[in-house]
Amino acid sequence: MTKKIQGLAISDGVGIGKAIVIIPQEIVINKGEILHSEVSSELERFENSIQHALDEIDHLIENYAYTKNNQNILKTHKMILKDPEFYEKIKKLIQENLYNLEQAVDQHFKGVIELFSKMDNEYMAERANDFKDVKNRLLSHITNQKLDQMINVCSENIVIMPEITPSEITSVFDKNIAGLITETGSKTAHSSILARSFGIPAVSGIANISKEIDDDSLVIVDGYKGEVIIEPDEQILKEYQAIVEKDKRDKGKLEKLIDQKVQTLDGKVIKLKCNVEIPEEMPQVQRVNADGIGLMRTEFIFLDKEELPDEDEQFNIYKKIVEKMGDREITIRTIDVGGDKLSKILNFTKEQNPNLGCRGIRVSLLYPEIFKVQIRAILRANKYGNIAVMFPMVSSIRELREAKKIVQECINELENENIEFDPNIKIGIMIEIPSAAINSDFFAKECDFFSIGTNDLIQYTLAVDRGNEHIHEYFQPLNPAVLNLINLTIENSHKNNITSAICGEMASERKFTEILIGMGIDELSVSPGQFLAVKDKILSINYKKAKKIAEQVLQAGNVEEIDKIISS
Amino acid sequence: MIRKKIKIENKLGLHARPATMIVKTATQYRSDCRLIKDDMDINGKSIMGVMMLAAEYGSEIELVTDGIDEEHLMNELVNLFKSKFNEE
Repeated sequence: MTKKIQGLAISDGVGIGKAIVIIPQEIVINKGEILHSEVSSELERFENSIQHALDEIDHLIENYAYTKNNQNILKTHKMILKDPEFYEKIKKLIQENLYNLEQAVDQHFKGVIELFSKMDNEYMAERANDFKDVKNRLLSHITNQKLDQMINVCSENIVIMPEITPSEITSVFDKNIAGLITETGSKTAHSSILARSFGIPAVSGIANISKEIDDDSLVIVDGYKGEVIIEPDEQILKEYQAIVEKDKRDKGKLEKLIDQKVQTLDGKVIKLKCNVEIPEEMPQVQRVNADGIGLMRTEFIFLDKEELPDEDEQFNIYKKIVEKMGDREITIRTIDVGGDKLSKILNFTKEQNPNLGCRGIRVSLLYPEIFKVQIRAILRANKYGNIAVMFPMVSSIRELREAKKIVQECINELENENIEFDPNIKIGIMIEIPSAAINSDFFAKECDFFSIGTNDLIQYTLAVDRGNEHIHEYFQPLNPAVLNLINLTIENSHKNNITSAICGEMASERKFTEILIGMGIDELSVSPGQFLAVKDKILSINYKKAKKIAEQVLQAGNVEEIDKIISS
Repeated sequence: MIRKKIKIENKLGLHARPATMIVKTATQYRSDCRLIKDDMDINGKSIMGVMMLAAEYGSEIELVTDGIDEEHLMNELVNLFKSKFNEE
């Protein structure tokens, strides 16, 4: 019987496949005793499993642990595995008690975990979790059971989980699964961002779904509509299979574009880069062969933190990202949150109107001590690659000058302190406030590039909150005022021999690509999941024709007329 | 063999980070290293042991190093404690 359940659409696409329900559970072990003659092989098994667990942790540190906190936790876990007392204890249990490895490890950790969880000190009691984690990791290698059961998952599967924990994220997205359903999770959750980057259809927000679906039942995930269909009848299945087939054909065509140069039919080269929200997206950025990162957000470093990440921690995060890109340019945007988002760290009074309040560069200039740490870390990481830095929410020249002054101060400091860094760094601004667009001729004389943030530019030009569903028809990317500000910005940048990029959502929508190129945009930066689709569009555009269309559009006085021109 | 008593001066006590710093230091030397607090006597090269001490701010522990590089090791350990594990 077909059963439809409505959830939250997380990531576009349709997946059809056999369900695998993944509920975290204890690893099953066969406890027992061994013969004297088996002691040495049991010890060998012990040493091998430790090595495998250590290798796995190294892999996690290298590829997925970007923050110092996560790295430290994993390093402590390594130390637990290398603990000489631990080794001796297990060895003794095997040699003297003739326990098999499973029983020895289980018994040892049971004792340790109990000891820690009983401690008065709440912090130390929580450390029991570290030992639990190490125990499970080790046992998973000993018994060849994958911790998260992802080992049995293949690309034909729809994976259903109550939620995705950070340590599971890697294995989920390594597998290229057909679809993902979770009980909890929002559009902005890390796993959701990754689902979109990796192009995996995903639906979330369905309570108890892991109990409602049985393993091996046929499931459809409709990431466009946010629907889950369990045991579909033949007709529904056929409809969805047609969608999957079409998506697959389209995807296959796009994959062939990876090595092609990004240029229009008549040879105008466009730089096409990726927007990156969290570093875990990097494998996708590398896979699609992007010309660089046009917008590296840095909010993930600051949000939800009890204390500010220090310079070394930030430096290591940037360095790790930069090294993955070789000499391709990475544009790092300095912290772009409202002061309210840092309330755990700063004493910040609530604002009446945060969108027009202290956010973006205003926060950085209000707290130069925080800003400086970030700038110094960026300058140090620049030694390892090709970084450009840009400031968000700039509304007048004064802010740009002050921010640049602070960059210069950081350069002088680093020089005096004899710390390795690279002072050659391009400095640009986001154009997302109308005043910056209108004054772009002046700004262009004092910075190295523009990056147009269309989401905020539309919001501030048309005075419309994008998140407010009641007025969404007022949010008009094609409003002549918006298009003229974009065009003015591009014109002024070229007049002053600097470049203009677009990193807002308009860059990701194929509908707008032709007029943006027609207006002369130099760079587009899009989410990794949209990259190849936009590339495909660029390859089909004739620049001369696009220019004419842009000219026509800029003469038009209303959205309807513009819509007609671009869809004809 | 060298013995030295030392007070824990960092506010958070010997939590995970200081514990890893002690173990990291101790394992770089060939000498044996023990930490003694109340009736607990643990191997300074064992993260499990050092964390189990759960030594809090203000408590006193005894450091024991024994071996060919015992002096160097003791100095480094004392420096770690004195620097409050670079936390404050």
